[in-house]
Amino acid sequence: MITAWLILILLVGGLLAALIARWQPGASRWVSLLSLLLAGYGLLEVWLAGQPATPSEQIIYASLSAEWIPRFGIQVLLVMDGLSLLMVALTLFLGVVAVLSSWTEIEHRAGFFQLNLLWILAGVVGVFTAMDLFLFFLFWEVMLVPMYFLIAIWGHEDRAYAAMKFFLFTQISSLLMLFAIIGLAFAHYASTGTLTFNYFDLLGTQLTPELATYLMLGFFIAFMVKLPGVPFHTWLPDAHTQAPTAGSVILAGILLKTGAYGLIRFVLPLFPDAALRFRWPAMLLGAVSIVYGGYMAFAQTDFKRLVAYSSVSHMGFVLLGVFAWTQVAVQGAVMQMIAHGFSTAALFMMAGALQQRLHTREMARMGGLWMHAPRMGAIALFFIVASLGMPGLGNFVGEFMVLLGAFEVDVPLTVAAALGLVVAAVYGLSLMQRTFQGPPNPELAGMRDFGARETGIMLLMAAGLIWLGVYPQPVLEVSGPVVEMLRGAGAP
Amino acid sequence: MELLWLIPALPLIGFLILVSTQGRLGKVPVALIGAGSVGAAAAVTAVAIWEFVGSGRAEYTQPLWTWIDVGGFNPAVVLYLDGLSAVMLGVITGVGFLIHVYATGYMRDDADYSRFFAYMNLFVFAMLVLVLGDNLLVLYLGWEGVGLCSYLLIGFFHAEPANGYAARKAFVVTRVGDTAMALGMFLLFRELGTLEIQAILTGVQAAWPTGSTTLTIAALLMLGGAVGKSAQLPLQTWLPDAMAGPTPVSALIHAATMVTAGVYLIARLHDLYLQSPHAQLAVALVGLITLLIASFAALTQRDLKRILAYSTMSQIGYMFMALGVGAWSAAIFHLMTHAFFKALLFLSAGSVILALHHEQDIFKMGGLWRKLPVPFWSMVIGSAALSAVPLTSGFFSKDLIELSAWDYEFGGEWFWAMASLGAFLTALYCTRMIFITFFGEAHTEADPAKQAGLNMSLPLVILAALAIAGGWFGLAPLASVLPDGGVHDTHHGWLPILTAAVPMLGLLLGYLIFGTRLLNVDRWVKSTLGERLRRFWFGGWGFDTLYDAVLVKPIVALAGRSPRDIVDRAYDFIAWLSRALHRVFALTQTGRLRWYAVNMAAGVVVILLIVLGVG
Repeated sequence: MITAWLILILLVGGLLAALIARWQPGASRWVSLLSLLLAGYGLLEVWLAGQPATPSEQIIYASLSAEWIPRFGIQVLLVMDGLSLLMVALTLFLGVVAVLSSWTEIEHRAGFFQLNLLWILAGVVGVFTAMDLFLFFLFWEVMLVPMYFLIAIWGHEDRAYAAMKFFLFTQISSLLMLFAIIGLAFAHYASTGTLTFNYFDLLGTQLTPELATYLMLGFFIAFMVKLPGVPFHTWLPDAHTQAPTAGSVILAGILLKTGAYGLIRFVLPLFPDAALRFRWPAMLLGAVSIVYGGYMAFAQTDFKRLVAYSSVSHMGFVLLGVFAWTQVAVQGAVMQMIAHGFSTAALFMMAGALQQRLHTREMARMGGLWMHAPRMGAIALFFIVASLGMPGLGNFVGEFMVLLGAFEVDVPLTVAAALGLVVAAVYGLSLMQRTFQGPPNPELAGMRDFGARETGIMLLMAAGLIWLGVYPQPVLEVSGPVVEMLRGAGAP
Repeated sequence: MELLWLIPALPLIGFLILVSTQGRLGKVPVALIGAGSVGAAAAVTAVAIWEFVGSGRAEYTQPLWTWIDVGGFNPAVVLYLDGLSAVMLGVITGVGFLIHVYATGYMRDDADYSRFFAYMNLFVFAMLVLVLGDNLLVLYLGWEGVGLCSYLLIGFFHAEPANGYAARKAFVVTRVGDTAMALGMFLLFRELGTLEIQAILTGVQAAWPTGSTTLTIAALLMLGGAVGKSAQLPLQTWLPDAMAGPTPVSALIHAATMVTAGVYLIARLHDLYLQSPHAQLAVALVGLITLLIASFAALTQRDLKRILAYSTMSQIGYMFMALGVGAWSAAIFHLMTHAFFKALLFLSAGSVILALHHEQDIFKMGGLWRKLPVPFWSMVIGSAALSAVPLTSGFFSKDLIELSAWDYEFGGEWFWAMASLGAFLTALYCTRMIFITFFGEAHTEADPAKQAGLNMSLPLVILAALAIAGGWFGLAPLASVLPDGGVHDTHHGWLPILTAAVPMLGLLLGYLIFGTRLLNVDRWVKSTLGERLRRFWFGGWGFDTLYDAVLVKPIVALAGRSPRDIVDRAYDFIAWLSRALHRVFALTQTGRLRWYAVNMAAGVVVILLIVLGVG
């Protein structure tokens, strides 16, 4: 039941925020914050209630099943297992971060902004919990449209182009996924005589190798676009650069994870043979994404674009790990998803804070900012160090486990991917140099340092990364049984 | 020994306090926390080692918590104390503490006093984790932490872009090595199923026959990590530039932390190299070549700190060579004595530099020995130990290495001869440094008051005492850890005498050239060949130029030219194509009925023809 409540709270909260903005625009952000906190509280209750008796026991924290369109075997099936729980927790946490980070940034149509923000989150929670493929597709689309508005209305100078590009990439690729979903359902109907979109029923559907490959590719491309992986990544730098801070936080922190989640939840368990035949090309794309994304990040001069390309690089690790499909690698990918959510959200917040203060994202016009804003400098340093994979912080655990797992599967690709560790140091430290270090610019002497609100959010995320880096075991134990179940799903 | 965890925890707490107060504390409390936390760690170390030696055990482990436990990959955070880590602990906390005390005086005029000590404490913490880790992953945490702190401290004065560049260079170059090491860890894990160091050491013999290729690759990958951190060929180029940091940082990097990490790693993984003679030979060769290259380079430097930097590189080269020829204990012995005399040399150089208002060019110094007696005598003692003057600490350790090299099965005589040449050069550049810096005409007015505090001179005195006497007692605890059974020497006859005499010849020659000027070498130095060689050595044998030309410049140039994504061009083409098609088809929308009718008729005719043709 709780999953439905989470989605409802977010949908209704969004409507309320839009309504209340008619009388009191400033109040809408409070409505948003409160509905997110309420949802977060509900999730926490569920989490705490569902402690496993043994570490390997798989827990269903909540589930809801109801008929929707029985004629076509379509259900409202919302299930929250460990993997979903982690992803939903990340979503709600970064939702709070997004609301707080745009606290003073958005003045134009504030209510509608909050509506879009919460509806994206509602869609994402749906995506992470829907176990009916038709419902999944519905939520997949629900999160797209408000995101389009977020970029198109509150974005920066080139927002129309970026929003359109984002929409086209996502929409065309989700059309492929829709074909694949329907194809899968019909293939299942052909072999069993029942038409269903239920994920658990569709697991283990008998498919000819050729059909399985086509259906797998339909899902794969949709998720690759979202992830994003090279060569489907080019919408991301534009969308990120143009989106408002909250949009970037949600986009990088959460929306990209839906792609990764899709690979883990659907592509490999539904089409185990076809996906493993496709393992080498997919891992190759992962390694290419890591190195190419890192290299492109180094080439950028725009703060946000640099961070956007670094996301391509980091999500390449996820792709590599998922298709390596060993326990260690997939768990590493899950860890990387969460850690990347924190570190990149923080860096986008930093970019947004700088843009708000300096009215530019161009790094050539920054430099020496540490002198004016030492607190921002120290915080930026922390998250850059996290994102270049320093042991003791969450990203390292993710990347190391991915590489360790991938090494057992394919040595040359792992070696290539490991180059990403060097590349990350190059672009990360050059970002630090070009913004906060170097001779201070006297024109910027009056720059405001982080206040309590901004410092507070950043410290919260920093604490999260340290926890994930030093003691990730509780998180790994939540996702562990699910990962084992999914890996077992395709096994004969 | 139960308090072992406190040793790394204390500097970490110091770091956390300094960071969380964000520079709001006064200088006295900062100094107390910064130096005090390391001092407390040193005290705990002393107690722990005392108890450990007293207990007679070979090792002591302290499990803290399980870091990760997924599908057979279960590294735990466990501290491991044995003879080797005990020696390292002593060096890191002891020498580290003296450097911290000195730094309280050296940095007193700096506005970022608190940030400086925060980084220094984190540095010591990372190094302590590195040597205490029972697991390669924990070791790697310290390993990368050391790299991070070196980045932070080398670039401490970050308003100057050159310092930032030096800092990034240090981090990126060592990261190349770290990545090799990570791959080595993946390989070891794949083959042995564990990253626990002791399990690896016992597993190596069972898993592989001697000289197996997989094992050699693993050992070489770990060597890759070691050469990065320890500034050995071919990843040595970051060290001379690392002089951009404040001088106490250089002392910390060169003596107590960082560059010794590679030596420790190989000594720690000794069974890997014992089982793979080729990898061990590679270690020896890397050490030998680096020590020679660095000695020649040191001979031509003008910057006082760069001379010392190259001397560090060459002394670490001796340690690598010792590891390679199987003189494991001698390597660690030299690591310890080197920590004493190199910290002494850097700190006394720091005093000189501070007294001369940050002048570092030795040719702008001169005539300082009366004005700066404590730094002068410190530097003389340090140089004597560095040159292996008999009865100083460096003499015992370096001679042991050279004599062990003689016994090496693969061309030991050559290793001995080349190492002796290196020792000769070391003595030569030491005398050059001393005479040019402290004697002759004064070129810059010195202000002795700058370096007069007790907190700066006392560490020098203690380190001077250690530089002399630190090698008299050998290193008993190593015997139970390293395969050669500790520090001992069995050589007799002419070889030890000759080995000891070679550096003396270097000192004599240096005295004749730089001290008395009886021997004039200007004719050779000023000749075309001499000048070319000087430039070549001065630039560190052209490695920087080479890497710049082959790697850095092409990559940066390409990046500068391609901030736009070539993959996006493909999508641009699709967009362009649909626009173009749109334009073409838009042309057909003329709105003239006649045009549409003609086209419809033509279409019908074409379709009919096709149908008929097919039919």
